[in-house]
Amino acid sequence: MLGAVLLGFLFSLFLVFAGSYFRGKLAVLSSLIPLSLFVYFLTFIPEISSGEVIYESYEWIPSFGVNLSFTLDGLALLFALMITGVGSLVFLYTSAYLKDHKYLDRFYGYLSLFMAAMLGLVLSDNLMSLFIFWELTSISSFYLIGFNNDKADSRKSALVALGITGIGGLLLLGGAVLLGDVVGTYRISEMLSMRDAITDSSNYLLILLLIFGAAFTKSAQFPFHFWLPGAMKAPTPVSTYLHSATMVKAGVYLLFRMTPVLNGGDIWHTVLIVVGAITMIYSAVHIIFRTDLKGILAYSTISALGILVFLIGIGTQAALIAAAVFIVVHALYKASLFLITGIIDHETGTRDVTQLAGLRKVLLPVAIAGFIAALISGGVPPTLGFVGKDLIYESTLHFKNNAVLLTIIAISTNVLLFYAGFVAGVKPFMGKLPKKFEKLHLPSPLMWVPPLIMTIAGLVFGLFPSLIETTFAKPIAMTQAIAFEDFHLKLWHGFNTILGLSAITLVLGVVLYFTLKPSHALENKIAKLDFIAPEVLLLKLSEGFAVFSKYWTNFFQTGYLRHYISIVVAFLILLLGYLIFSDFSLETDFSTLADLTIYEISILLMLLMGVLYTVFTKSRLAAVAALGVVGLSFSLLFLFYSAPDLAMTQFSVDTLTVILFVLVLYKLPKYLNFSNKWLRMKHGVLSVSFGVLITLLILRVLKEPKNTEISEFYAENAYKLAHGKNVVNVILVDFRGIDTMIEISVLIVAALGVFGLLKLRLKTRDKK
Amino acid sequence: MEIILAIITGVLYASGIYMILRRSMVKLILGIILLGNGVNLLIFLLGRITKGQPPIIDSTEKALEGIYADPIPQALILTAIVISFGLQAFAIILVKRAYKVLKTDDLDQLNTTDEDS
Amino acid sequence: MTNDIIILPLVVHLFFSILLMLFWNKVNFQKVVSMVGNAIALCVAIWAFIHVYNNGTQIVESGNWPAPFGIVFVGDMLAVTLVLLTAIAGFAVSVFSTISVIKARLRFGYFSVFHFLLLGLNGAFLTGDIFNLYVWFEIIIISSFVLISIGGEKNQLEGAVKYFALNFFASMIFLTALGVLYGLVGTLNMADISLKIAEVKDTTLVEISAVLFLVGFGIKSAIFPLYFWLPASYHTPPSAVSAIFAGLLTKVGVYALIRVFTLIYGGDSFLTTLLLFLAIMTIFSGGIGAIIQNNIKKVFMYFIICHIGFMIGGLALFTEVAMAGVIFYLIHDIIIKTNLFLISGLIYRIKATTNMKKLGGLYAHYPKLSLLIAIPLFSLVGIPPLSGYWPKISLILASFNAQEYWFFGALIFGSLITLIVIAKLWSEVFWKDQPKINFPKKFIYFDQLRLGQKFTFVFPVAFLTFVTLYIGFGAEHIQQLSQRIAMELMNNELYINAVLKR
Repeated sequence: MLGAVLLGFLFSLFLVFAGSYFRGKLAVLSSLIPLSLFVYFLTFIPEISSGEVIYESYEWIPSFGVNLSFTLDGLALLFALMITGVGSLVFLYTSAYLKDHKYLDRFYGYLSLFMAAMLGLVLSDNLMSLFIFWELTSISSFYLIGFNNDKADSRKSALVALGITGIGGLLLLGGAVLLGDVVGTYRISEMLSMRDAITDSSNYLLILLLIFGAAFTKSAQFPFHFWLPGAMKAPTPVSTYLHSATMVKAGVYLLFRMTPVLNGGDIWHTVLIVVGAITMIYSAVHIIFRTDLKGILAYSTISALGILVFLIGIGTQAALIAAAVFIVVHALYKASLFLITGIIDHETGTRDVTQLAGLRKVLLPVAIAGFIAALISGGVPPTLGFVGKDLIYESTLHFKNNAVLLTIIAISTNVLLFYAGFVAGVKPFMGKLPKKFEKLHLPSPLMWVPPLIMTIAGLVFGLFPSLIETTFAKPIAMTQAIAFEDFHLKLWHGFNTILGLSAITLVLGVVLYFTLKPSHALENKIAKLDFIAPEVLLLKLSEGFAVFSKYWTNFFQTGYLRHYISIVVAFLILLLGYLIFSDFSLETDFSTLADLTIYEISILLMLLMGVLYTVFTKSRLAAVAALGVVGLSFSLLFLFYSAPDLAMTQFSVDTLTVILFVLVLYKLPKYLNFSNKWLRMKHGVLSVSFGVLITLLILRVLKEPKNTEISEFYAENAYKLAHGKNVVNVILVDFRGIDTMIEISVLIVAALGVFGLLKLRLKTRDKK
Repeated sequence: MEIILAIITGVLYASGIYMILRRSMVKLILGIILLGNGVNLLIFLLGRITKGQPPIIDSTEKALEGIYADPIPQALILTAIVISFGLQAFAIILVKRAYKVLKTDDLDQLNTTDEDS
Repeated sequence: MTNDIIILPLVVHLFFSILLMLFWNKVNFQKVVSMVGNAIALCVAIWAFIHVYNNGTQIVESGNWPAPFGIVFVGDMLAVTLVLLTAIAGFAVSVFSTISVIKARLRFGYFSVFHFLLLGLNGAFLTGDIFNLYVWFEIIIISSFVLISIGGEKNQLEGAVKYFALNFFASMIFLTALGVLYGLVGTLNMADISLKIAEVKDTTLVEISAVLFLVGFGIKSAIFPLYFWLPASYHTPPSAVSAIFAGLLTKVGVYALIRVFTLIYGGDSFLTTLLLFLAIMTIFSGGIGAIIQNNIKKVFMYFIICHIGFMIGGLALFTEVAMAGVIFYLIHDIIIKTNLFLISGLIYRIKATTNMKKLGGLYAHYPKLSLLIAIPLFSLVGIPPLSGYWPKISLILASFNAQEYWFFGALIFGSLITLIVIAKLWSEVFWKDQPKINFPKKFIYFDQLRLGQKFTFVFPVAFLTFVTLYIGFGAEHIQQLSQRIAMELMNNELYINAVLKR
């Protein structure tokens, strides 16, 4: 299975280098990749339907518990066949649809990247590797939606889709990590036996929230659904493949996969049923107001995804089987309808359903496919759609609470979906052919055969539902670890309530189709309500966020140095003040003051005067002179307090600084009185508070005893071991010689910098 | 005694920061030098000060005995003074060059690089 | 003395910086010498890394004075890993510099100062003495002052003044912290401090010294609310300089925080709470800063800030899992941020601008190059299984275990913003058609370069991308390394015992 997953990755990598050969006639050969995989997965049917589950595991990053472990059971096989089967047809279709497109190779590259990622996703038994593939599907979807990247709205839709699915991906990561932490493994197959540990865990609700978040965003549930209609900017094969048949079902797949692990009772059922129900009815109603064929199909896809979530929420055996069957049904008819729409668009140049009519006269095989697809979609017997719908009603009717309400919602949705299927699959072909379309020709069979194949499959499966039953339905039921009752998929159940409900659905659907005509007027009506659509609200929110971001950033990043420094100082004052005053005691030994000599007092006074004069004088030269006095006082102070070396160093450095300053200052302008009084006050308060805190800090440290072990060692050994009598010098050149070496390097670099600043003038010719 | 030096250190920090917060680049440099001095004094002070007992071994002795000033802070401050000098010299020239190119001593005029461009 | 290997990188850089000064005017020769020097440094760093990996922490006592009396160099796993990453980034940037930095700048000691900068970085990672760390910091900042101002253009000087003022201020705070610490424990050796600080009775004073270190290092590592110098200055020098700054300068601050907060102030609850709050604010503030920028260099700068928050937050959680995440992220971040700025330099060479509004059409005209660039961009976002993804597992897990849901939220927020902004950047720069703008005529465009020159431009990017790919796909190795480092950091007696030979 690893090979099967890697094949797509390798092929897309291959296309990066050898893509130019696959732009022309050879493009069709790309379909061999999904086709061979399809055949490969077909060979597993006997084993899987006999109830086997195939595991395969390769070590990858064991430190994280991330392994490439794959499992092939009924659910995985269903998805794998869907991915490769629909994939093969879409690959074939694309070679004609995008014939001679200059970036056809890139398109195939993304498509096979996606296929590989999606296969990896459904086959993964490791939640982390599932996440990895999940993210890769989002990325490939980003590239595919933005395939026509010269168009601004394509780019925008790609961004929105990536943003929404990106949030979901991160939530999934969180959920996976948390789940892995609770059970101690990322292997889903090992989690199955630990459901109670998970549902009893204190993090259960958080896990649910995260996993739901991931599933709902990926599978376009309300209120995150809006990225999906936007994603229809992608070329039609992409809409068919990713945004209808496979990728958007990843969320559903995740819920399906997680049902036996996470289904912990009411909260699971309630959330999924409510969200699913809102989604299915909300987007089904939207269909009425659309005229763009792809828009109609997008909303009906969302609605179908809602049904799936809803069924998983109901969670009975009947409902889960209904969901499994409906996944197949939906993939078959929706993919066909998308491909048909693509043909119509390709040939006529429009997807506006109000403009299209009578196309059966020129595109007969397409019309047949469309008609059958509409029948499947509407659940008309003897198609598989009918089987699927029966199962849905059966599960809603037998649900423990609100069975009637749920059934009504299901019926209304199905009626609207019936309408959608007929508008998309039948309406463009009926009626009188407009003149402008009379010269149309049937396109290459590569385009019209794939939808025909899928719709015929829908018919065949409908007539012989047992094909589905043994291959998928039963193995899938087994993956759900529910009390397994024997069941049979049947076209004919006899006369009962369910049949009645189906009949009602069909009748209402037909009525709706013949009474309601899609029109721009309706479309405009709903547009007026856009201001409360989640999409618009989110857009407003993100605009608001951008404004806030700007405000926040500009608030801090003003460009004024003093602003930055005052924030840093204020931050320090806050922290130091908090700590110092949290247990404050001021007891200082004033007795040492008695030892003050007149020399000290005069030195300190000189120092103080110098500092204050530096700060307050209006003359620059005077300030520099005062600074010189400060330096001099420092030398004396050091001398007085037993630091002759420091005194000398301070004196020479001070002299040099003053000289340098005067030399440079000579050319600078006079002080201008820039800042206002208020600002000076503010800065005064800031700096004085900081000074006070430093003073308090010093006094407090001085109260503590100091450990003198190290200085005693130096005092003891400076002469004995290092043969120097001036201990400071010994430390500088011997004990801590490295410091001095680097200190000299600092001076060298500073000199280099000064030289560069003085001499280097970039000329315009340099600034190339 | 320490209390007075502690207050003086506080004054040096305060005046240094106050000067850094002015708009003139020259004052910025003055402030940096004052702050640097304040820091040196802080280290000196916290290493505990001693009057008239430099850490130099008598020519007749082999080790420091009795009361002596802690040599380590002195060594640290010496290193710090020299390093600060290097930085200050660079800063003075930087200001000079900045004045030449930007034609202003006003730090508030230096806010174009923060804008989005 | 085989353990001397760990200080060989210092010797190599010191030697080459002096050697380069001797060839002051021979710019072309300097280019070769610098590349050779960095290649040698890379080999030495690999050697040192392998040596420590096999033999455990190595100690070198300068002047043979035993710790805590002399300055020791400590080659523990973290230090040699960072030395290795420095060497990788340094090598890539030196190659990039030879082609992208103009001759006028090179004539004024660019390469020599560049080697001094790398010397300082290596020294800071290796030293076991806190004052010595200050001295290494000073050589780092003076070198960075010189590199940021070399050429003396208008906005360079503007940036340099702010950069200087705030970094000088940071050094002063660092020194203040040092003074306080020395006043309490009377020693400078970090291992020794760690032992002696436990004896200090006034724990508030210990916390104060920690806060001072936090601010001093915090300014350098650009955490909220201390990062303002970064968006003001990092984009002003040539891209090669920005690249080394972005990759390593803020990270040396992070390194210092990690070292000090694991070795000396391990697990103090006030400090960890504070750090966590700052981390969340850093992620938030950096993230929303990135949203509104139009210049790709500025976008990347705000990402530096945002992602510093990931590491600081992990440090604040203070568990072994979190620390492994921090180290993994650090390894990923150094390479990726260096690469991003090289990429912005490359884009500038192609289009003469880095403004997203004026850029476009790169994917159409340079598809293979675009795909190459896409790898680091996606790694930055953390698209699995690329490098930015793996550390997030550890960080998220650690935030759940510590029940710090705000930090989890911040991680998600930061990752989402990164995703969206990078997608927007891709859409604007690579997908969008080239807007009609007047291209400067005298500019030498990428297309006009000779093949060899083009190669020199692309090679460092490809080299770093390759390293990033290795970090992503070889995550097992990196994670084992990170776990080992995390274990060493969280059990600081290992470090102390090695240094003090107990």
